[in-house]
Amino acid sequence: MSMTQRLSDFAFWVADTDLSIFLTDVPWAFPTFETVHVISLCLVFGSIMIVDLRLLGLASTARPAGEVIQATLPMTWIGFAGAATSGAVLFCANPIGYSENFYFLGKLALLALAGANMVFFHLFVQRQLADQHAWMPRISGGISLALWTVIVGFGRWIGFTL
Amino acid sequence: MVNDWLTHFADWLGTTGLTGLVAGTFWIVPALQTLHILAVAVVLVGTLFINLRIIGVLERGQSVDAVVDRFMKPVMMALLVLAFSGGLLVAAEPTRALFRSLFWIKLGLIVLATLLTLSHRAVTVTVNAAKTAQPIKPMRKAAALLSLMLWIGVISAGRWIAYVEAWQGAPS
Repeated sequence: MSMTQRLSDFAFWVADTDLSIFLTDVPWAFPTFETVHVISLCLVFGSIMIVDLRLLGLASTARPAGEVIQATLPMTWIGFAGAATSGAVLFCANPIGYSENFYFLGKLALLALAGANMVFFHLFVQRQLADQHAWMPRISGGISLALWTVIVGFGRWIGFTL
Repeated sequence: MVNDWLTHFADWLGTTGLTGLVAGTFWIVPALQTLHILAVAVVLVGTLFINLRIIGVLERGQSVDAVVDRFMKPVMMALLVLAFSGGLLVAAEPTRALFRSLFWIKLGLIVLATLLTLSHRAVTVTVNAAKTAQPIKPMRKAAALLSLMLWIGVISAGRWIAYVEAWQGAPS
């Protein structure tokens, strides 16, 4: 069975769940989860921006990068948990529409890339933070900031292309 | 009365050419909304750091001064970006926000939240002038909590403008 077929089967299955029916029947449900999604994604983007700008050497330069990361990461994870949960609920409101939308699928792919970038950072780049002339942290921060900006953009574009 | 006045204003906005430009160019509104959300992220996280430091949750190893200094400028710059992108979004679809009470409530909340955020700077300056390390007063912590809740209220109102009913007799 092809990936597309599987995704389509999954979407049709979700469309029949109680959650999906609740989201289409109750007018306040969708905007409420959307509000949670916006607040959460702002936590994710804003906190990641702090770290990325530090890695790029453009902000918070008075403090070691490791310390900035430690102080900021909890906010990123709380935001990410909220965004992933509310995002999954929002998907249930129109699973067939989203699963066929270019920007939705693109956003998932970009999220996977951002995740890979983060894993790569923790495995290979983080140990170079003490070296002020290291270029890997800068590249890592630049890629991350660009990816998350496009992810927010794709998210907004979904609403206009469904 | 207000309705008439706003209708004239919306009509005038419609003749400025912005509305036509946006209607003919698909990507302008989503691009402005993306910029708007990115700036909201800066305001939310910046004020969260300031307010949670005052309450004593985040960055306890740093002085309140240092945290206020670090985030106040980005927050104020992001507020300018928000006023600019928000203004363009209103001009792009003049009938969308102006005739909904929630839009005006949101503007009121923004004024309150901004003043409360700026008050942290004023207190910091006063405390520094006294040149003694003073503990953070409970009133100030309460102000920080209120400020934090106001900003979350602003964001929520922003999202709900798209869903609430317009006033009766408003142009569609």
